[in-house]
Amino acid sequence: MSDVGQEKDKLIEDHEYDGIRELNNPLPGWWLMTFYITIIFSVIYFAYYQFLGGPTLDEELAQKMSVIESVRKEAQKEAQEERSENKLRALALNQDIIEKGRAEFVAKCIACHGDKGQGIIGPNLTDDYWIHGNGTISSILTTVEEGVLDKGMPPWKGVIAPDVIQSVAVYVYSLHGSNPEGAKPPQGQKVEYE
Amino acid sequence: MADGNQVSSKLMDKIVYDDDVVKKFLFATIFWGAAAFLVGLLAALELAYWKSNLNLEWLTFGRIRPLHTNAAIFAFGGNIIFAGIYHSTQRLLKTRLYSDILSRIHFWGWQLIIVGALITLPLGYSQSKEYAELEWPLDIAIALVWVIFAVNFFGTIAIRRIKHLYVALWFYIATIITVAVLHIVNSIEIPVSLFKSYPVYAGVQDALVQWWYGHNAVAFFLTTPFLGLMYYYVPKAANRPIYSYKLSVIHFWSLVFLYIWAGPHHLLNSALPDWAQTLGMVFSLMLWAPSWGGMINGLLTLRGAWHLLRTDPIIKFLAVAVTFYGMSTFEGPLLSIKSVNSLAHYTDWIIAHVHGGTLGWNGFLTFGIIYYLVPKVWNNKIYSQRLMNNHFWVGLLGILLYYLSMWASGITQGLMWMAVDGNGQLVYPDFVETVMRIAPLYYIRFIGGVLYIVGFFLLIYNVWMTIKTAPKEEKVASVEVSSLAEKVTIGTGHRKLEALGAIFTVLLFISIAVGSIIEIIPTLSIYKYLPAASKTRPYTPLELAGRDIYIKEGCYVCHSQMVRKLPFDVLRFGQPSTIEESMYDRPFQWGSKRTGPDLARVGGKYPDMWHLRHMIDPREITPNSIMPSYPWLADKKIDYLSLRKKLSVMKRLGVPYDENMVANADIYAGNEAEKIYEGLLGQDPSLTEIKDTEVIAIIAYLQTLGKKTSEQGVSQLKR
Ligand code: HEC
Ligand code: HEC
Repeated sequence: MSDVGQEKDKLIEDHEYDGIRELNNPLPGWWLMTFYITIIFSVIYFAYYQFLGGPTLDEELAQKMSVIESVRKEAQKEAQEERSENKLRALALNQDIIEKGRAEFVAKCIACHGDKGQGIIGPNLTDDYWIHGNGTISSILTTVEEGVLDKGMPPWKGVIAPDVIQSVAVYVYSLHGSNPEGAKPPQGQKVEYE
Repeated sequence: MADGNQVSSKLMDKIVYDDDVVKKFLFATIFWGAAAFLVGLLAALELAYWKSNLNLEWLTFGRIRPLHTNAAIFAFGGNIIFAGIYHSTQRLLKTRLYSDILSRIHFWGWQLIIVGALITLPLGYSQSKEYAELEWPLDIAIALVWVIFAVNFFGTIAIRRIKHLYVALWFYIATIITVAVLHIVNSIEIPVSLFKSYPVYAGVQDALVQWWYGHNAVAFFLTTPFLGLMYYYVPKAANRPIYSYKLSVIHFWSLVFLYIWAGPHHLLNSALPDWAQTLGMVFSLMLWAPSWGGMINGLLTLRGAWHLLRTDPIIKFLAVAVTFYGMSTFEGPLLSIKSVNSLAHYTDWIIAHVHGGTLGWNGFLTFGIIYYLVPKVWNNKIYSQRLMNNHFWVGLLGILLYYLSMWASGITQGLMWMAVDGNGQLVYPDFVETVMRIAPLYYIRFIGGVLYIVGFFLLIYNVWMTIKTAPKEEKVASVEVSSLAEKVTIGTGHRKLEALGAIFTVLLFISIAVGSIIEIIPTLSIYKYLPAASKTRPYTPLELAGRDIYIKEGCYVCHSQMVRKLPFDVLRFGQPSTIEESMYDRPFQWGSKRTGPDLARVGGKYPDMWHLRHMIDPREITPNSIMPSYPWLADKKIDYLSLRKKLSVMKRLGVPYDENMVANADIYAGNEAEKIYEGLLGQDPSLTEIKDTEVIAIIAYLQTLGKKTSEQGVSQLKR
């Protein structure tokens, strides 16, 4: 028998199952209100998006992307100026930048280029010979960003943040002439360094 | 509980309950519970420290996670459901179970299926559909055992001595009918071999059917049966009447009617048509109140027994379980709101949400029921009240650590994925950086798991000692009922319906069929209306072979293949995925969790050599990766011969392969593999051993992702 205390008058007659009784309490008002509100909201929400011209997911995305695109165009213009060889050479004097580039190089590049840039699957990055570009920081930067997919060099743009890619290019440039042990034989064209 | 009116015993029938089968299911619950929790713990450790898979293919995360989820839901959850349903139904209907034989076939059949899962999942026999991974022979076995359960249950209802069905039984009926429908519809597949099949649904259809199933597995396997158990064991344990009969009626029907629609909330912002997504969202919101109806009725039934909270650990377990049910069913609708979902989806927040429900609601309710039932059916007092208390606190602490760490992990990583700086660039473009940030939280989750299991071992010991010290002579549980037909008032309205089992069941079927039909039927013809411009080519034989290896290894548990219609997804992974891109995907591989990056557009992103080295040891390429190594892929040979059969099944399912391709699938694949192999060999002449190995097929598959559909087919948004 259920222990009902003062709720005896609320017990529903006949409702007894293996000793379990039931009370006839009403639905809690706040609960009912919540239910109604979610139903009303749902009807309005569904009607707005499906029948009354609310934006589709594609439209919302296109709108947000166009904002991002325009911000990006601005930023790219500035970045073009930042990429001039002179500006990049200036960075090459900064030890912090080189250190930042080294850390990323260790994380992303040594699998193919070796821990000292001596070359494994990818070419030696320390000699005077270049398959792509002419050994300047800006040409290294372009190769790293665009990659050479057919030949096994991944593109890194979008994977590594723009300022970090720059640092990596600066770091690769700084390796020039380091003559590491076990260097891979030269590939590409010899470049005259001043 | 016999009342005082003992009349002449000639007029009384003695009914002996079958508690032996209840005991069996209780043992199974405890046994498989331990297994499910330990496998879960291993999975948790593997994400913190990948080497804990011991570099064994059977233990890699991709194969262990399905084992954990299946064991937890169907072995631990399933067995306690059966124990509780069989125990309470007999008492609620004052009759022995319909058939002793069916009860035993049900028990042993279910355990055999679990053993089958335990063997096949680690071996990689998987359909890759979440909570429905088991291959077709086991699917058939599940359907058969479920039908036996249904016959036994409805047979018991047919011979009942209590005219009206109590609310717990309504929930049991809902469970049995709906799980049968879900399982059968989601498992329609065509066998290729003994342990391989392809589903009849492709891409978006498969996604919708799967999440209609997956979501309602939560609804009708982890919610309705447990609510039924709550309605029996909470009032019994607290000795209190149910707070509101009216609330039971309203929340029951609204719950079963609304739940079935909510599946698409697993596919928000995806390529699923907008209308279906919106339905999924709003029906989830509307579920909030009906779910809380159950919580209110549970908690207010305990009202007046609050003093027991201090003295009776069983009441503590039950009260906390119901509270977690309330939390989860508030969080669920919240996560279904499209904007919240864009942050939380694919992250550990979802994992936190699920475990709040499973560890808190299902787990603690189960523990409460076990502590209530074991002394009852073994006719003894519980061995130690104190151990029960300790279990409660250790377990609760475990849940909190688990929940809070995964919640923090999910929100942290979600925010990192979303972060775009003032130049329109991702702040964290490198995916693995966002993984490293949350890795410490994986250890905290692991500790939470350890605590939960420690608590469970206390239960095992306590139950063991209770049974050991139980009186040796069996005392059969029985009840005396009048053999004369009792006069009962049938009543009107819903009360009348409760006396009409068959009509009740039919109405229930109709209420779950409505939402299912409205959502699924339109999707089945969706590919007929695709614009002609968006041509997609089917997978080549080698790509298909690679795809099946991807499925076998369970890569989908860590990798999604669905770039959502969200700016930060587009910036990171490329143009949003379209329906046509997965129109030949059987099964679909959209995924539900991004432990690793999305792979929908990984084709052409890296060279073959990169993939080769990354598959054999990801850390050679990405030093901090938590992805398992797959060296065996570079050992095992591709199973070329099965490709003919595979292509012919695909062709039967409507994939446009020509006869020649099907007949020579193995030769086609061999030629494709040769090309990739030659390319790799050109870069590294020492690679002769990888000729014709599975890794070549996986590379072919990965390189085709995002490349099979013509440019116009993919929307015009550029990276
Ligand atoms: C999967 C292997 C792989 C990885 C990882 C890799 N590279 Fe390369 N890299 C190559 C290959 C192969 C080439 C040669 C391409 C060719 O032959 O055209 C190359 C070429 C280059 C070149 C041009 C060399 C020349 O002679 O012109 C540069 C610079 C370079 N890589 C930098 C990097 C940097 C920086 C990273 C890390 C961010 C990196 N690579 C990561 C494989 C790789
Ligand atoms: C435990 C989770 C996990 C499993 C299982 C897993 N991966 Fe990964 N995967 C990751 C993580 C984390 C990364 C990111 C770090 C890295 O590059 O290794 C990743 C990265 C990748 C990448 C590179 C993606 C990119 O865009 O950089 C590919 C390709 C990949 N995985 C393929 C697979 C395949 C194929 C399988 C199945 C055989 C698999 N993964 C199984 C976690 C996993």
